[in-house]
Amino acid sequence: MESARSKWLWAVGSLLILVWTAVPILWIVMLSFKQPGEVGNRHGFLPHTWTWENYRTVFRTGLFTSALVNSIGISLIATAVGVVFATLVAYAIARLEFPGKRAILSFALAIAMFPVVSLVGPLFDLWRDIGLYDTWPGLIIPYVSFALPLAIWTLSAFFREIPWEMEQAAQVDGATSWQAFRKVIVPLAAPGVFTAAILTFFFCWNDFVFGISLTSTDNARPVPAALAFFTGASFFQQPTTAICAAAVVVTVPVVVIVLLFQRRIVAGLTAGAVKG
Amino acid sequence: MVERSRTGPGRRAVRGSVATALLASGLAACGGGGGAPTLHWYVNPDNGGQDRLARACSAASGGRYRIETALLPADASQQREQLVRRLAAKDSGLDLMSLDPVFVAEAANAGFLRPFTPAEAAGFTQGVFPAAVRSSTWKGRLYAAPFWAGTQVLWYRRSVARKAGVDPAAPGFTWDKMIDAAERTGTTVGEQGNKYEGYMVWINALVESAGGHVLTGGEDGAKARITIDGPAGRRAAGVIRRLARSRAASPTLATDIEEQARSLLNGPRGGFLLNWGYVWQAETGDAKAGTIAGSVVDDLGWAPYPQVTEGVKAKPPFGGIELAVGAYGRHKAEAVDAARCVTTADNMKRYMLDSGNPAARAAVYDDPEVVKRFPMAGLLRDSIDAAAPRPVTPYYGDVSGAIQSRWHPPASVDPATTPRRSASFISQVLRDKALL
Amino acid sequence: MSAPSRAELSDRGRAERRLGLVLSAPAVAVMLLVTAYPLANALYLSLFRYRLTAPDDRRFVWFSNYATALGDPLFWQDVLTTLVITAVTVAVEVVIGFAFALVMHRAVFARRTVRTAILLPYGIVTVISAFAWKYAFDLQSGFVNSWFGAGDFAWFSHRWASLLVIVLSEIWKTTPFVSLLLLAGLAQVPGDLGEAATVDGATAWQRLWRVTIPNMRAAILVAVLFRTLDAWRIFDNVFVMTSGQGKTETLSFLTYRQTITRTAIGLGDAVGVLLFLSVVLIAAVFIRGFRVDLSQVRGDR
Repeated sequence: MESARSKWLWAVGSLLILVWTAVPILWIVMLSFKQPGEVGNRHGFLPHTWTWENYRTVFRTGLFTSALVNSIGISLIATAVGVVFATLVAYAIARLEFPGKRAILSFALAIAMFPVVSLVGPLFDLWRDIGLYDTWPGLIIPYVSFALPLAIWTLSAFFREIPWEMEQAAQVDGATSWQAFRKVIVPLAAPGVFTAAILTFFFCWNDFVFGISLTSTDNARPVPAALAFFTGASFFQQPTTAICAAAVVVTVPVVVIVLLFQRRIVAGLTAGAVKG
Repeated sequence: MVERSRTGPGRRAVRGSVATALLASGLAACGGGGGAPTLHWYVNPDNGGQDRLARACSAASGGRYRIETALLPADASQQREQLVRRLAAKDSGLDLMSLDPVFVAEAANAGFLRPFTPAEAAGFTQGVFPAAVRSSTWKGRLYAAPFWAGTQVLWYRRSVARKAGVDPAAPGFTWDKMIDAAERTGTTVGEQGNKYEGYMVWINALVESAGGHVLTGGEDGAKARITIDGPAGRRAAGVIRRLARSRAASPTLATDIEEQARSLLNGPRGGFLLNWGYVWQAETGDAKAGTIAGSVVDDLGWAPYPQVTEGVKAKPPFGGIELAVGAYGRHKAEAVDAARCVTTADNMKRYMLDSGNPAARAAVYDDPEVVKRFPMAGLLRDSIDAAAPRPVTPYYGDVSGAIQSRWHPPASVDPATTPRRSASFISQVLRDKALL
Repeated sequence: MSAPSRAELSDRGRAERRLGLVLSAPAVAVMLLVTAYPLANALYLSLFRYRLTAPDDRRFVWFSNYATALGDPLFWQDVLTTLVITAVTVAVEVVIGFAFALVMHRAVFARRTVRTAILLPYGIVTVISAFAWKYAFDLQSGFVNSWFGAGDFAWFSHRWASLLVIVLSEIWKTTPFVSLLLLAGLAQVPGDLGEAATVDGATAWQRLWRVTIPNMRAAILVAVLFRTLDAWRIFDNVFVMTSGQGKTETLSFLTYRQTITRTAIGLGDAVGVLLFLSVVLIAAVFIRGFRVDLSQVRGDR
């Protein structure tokens, strides 16, 4: 029962939102196509002369390509591990009665609120002692542990909504318990697991503090941390355009994920997440 | 621990699986199992020149050692963070490092560096600029080999100087005259006034040029005498206050770093600029790329760092990179040899032509190739020769940070109060009695 | 199904208990490893005067590092900065986030595009968002001054102007999260309540305040709690945009600079512990004071 006027208002609102979210992204893209010398000498949103030079620069330096490999590898492994761990906990919380259930949930919540910066100093020392400093596991472990709360939270909300009785009903109908699980439970749980995976991946992809503190070479340094290592033609010149080219490259996967799974993410974050 | 440097694209795929295999086994392998030991050289980012020198020296060693470079962050204090943490953990895979001169004392005092014997030191310091030697020396021993040496000179637009009727290259050209000239012509004096090390470079150069020091007795560590609250400190504060509050200041002086200051010179209000030697290559490069007009380069002049007191030669800033050998490395003898190879006059020249970073040995500046590429080579040599290093103290980071915190923003500097406040703040910070 | 006997129940109960603990063990172990030991270590070291570059000069000083930190104007200046950033971002985000949620909920025009656009910043790396906003406002590289006629106003030379840019980048990046939580809340508001109100002649504005928002109280409080604690720890944006210059330093950045940059481990860990305690305090205030019902969030009804 929308009036024409309110329809029009919603359209304007939508348009404003599009501009607000698109401009900073477009701006980075534009900068990445400018000549390095243009920054500081010519102003304006659009490049004066379009060039691929910055992309060639970032892909020519091992600095960026190895960071990209690290970011992708570390984030994927951390996501896989994190989602498996979170699924186990969430299943236990949703379906089983056991002592310490509340404690686990409160603890996970406390982790979600933890000031990460207070930890990196001691964590650095610990990692040095046990040989995890500047390695993939050295980043994967903190990523998993800080992504877990959100994953557990999302998944247990999801699992609570699953009508587990259907599993038994299927078994009564003659299915084996494996068939019942695979045919009934997996399709119901998969969207939640998938959403948790996307959220965990975004979290790992986004990290900066651990990336700069727990790595020191291109063995494990992820992209956000590697941006601080970019230099221009000389030490004093700002690698603005090269940073933007690198930024665009690491933003592409995010855009693809959001485009493909927009509905999943919305559903996952909203379905049963908050009970009014 | 395996440190890999930039590798060719072909090896990248291999690297991923190697890394995974290492992780899976949880083992840390070390380079140089058989044959020549691999030296790990941590370098500050440049255009790849240090990596090329590493390869040249590996080849020249005739199989005695192989150097691999690993990259440090672009920012000098972040470079120090990385190195200090590795050294504090007694990392045996840190053989050679490119150190900013201001952090040599700290690392040497903590026992992180292997000092050079007097015999080795003689070779490393022969014909080297005095400021570079002073920065690399701690309690009478040489802890780092001067590799390249930077300084700032006065860059200016010839047309502006002509219009203002001044000759910046003439002896007796002072900060006051320069600011007057810029005000008269409606142009600017570019400086680095951001709250960062570059601002400390400016403050220290002014204090030294006025005949004083920020501190003395740096060898006494936390008990050094803070002398910034003296006549020279107040003179320096006066110059900064005058420029910061003048029409000749950049509108963004309080956040300007080297590049912002340089782009000011290229703009319509460009007049004078205090900046490092890289400006020449950067300006010619920009003109070639077409992002600035070629006429800007034709109009570019250079002169010695301006004086604070007329008639007293200025002491320009000193920067650069020193090469140090880690105290915990497994191949210290080879690392010393490698440092020797990297810092020969020939290799310094090669590096200067390759990266634009000026050599630490004075003789290089007479080389015809160098003179051809750097028309101001003579000025650079004389300026580095006259340059004064920043305070040599194991607490340099804190001293510099404390001064920046009390002297920033430049427009707030007051000769009557700023030097005094910064002096007492430094002592508080050194005693852990204040946060920084 | 017939009721199981007592013995059966306790047997099954025991097995269930064991399974529950086994399934939870890996996650709990990882979370403990990364937080419990480092926190204990930081507590211990904060009682020493200790610098990484002067290892021989390590002395036990009781709580003197805490006294130094709490007595230092810089600490309180950073508390104020962090407080301002947190208050402004959270307040603005709730308003904008609510508008976004309404649009997502109701939009007819290009619904899919709008939802995608809203989600994009959520996935973009904070550091990159910080670079984008920094370069946009920077006098040398940016377009903002010429677009909005700001002349050569130097944003990053003024405390509040640079904080404004930091806050903008934070709002841009994290509003999607808020709007998603609020959208969830919006979906819970019973539609017939609104219709009933319409029949009673209430305007849209009245419906919003009397029906929609009261029914979303839980969602709003949860969003505010999460975002408050997140904004309170803000670090990446400050690191990239100002490095804490011009009095824009936050508590996280102060901790980072003392422990990592200055390698003043003792003093820095003391600041880190204080930061941790402040987070605990905020969480306690929310949970006790506003009675945020976390049981509804975390799913253990």
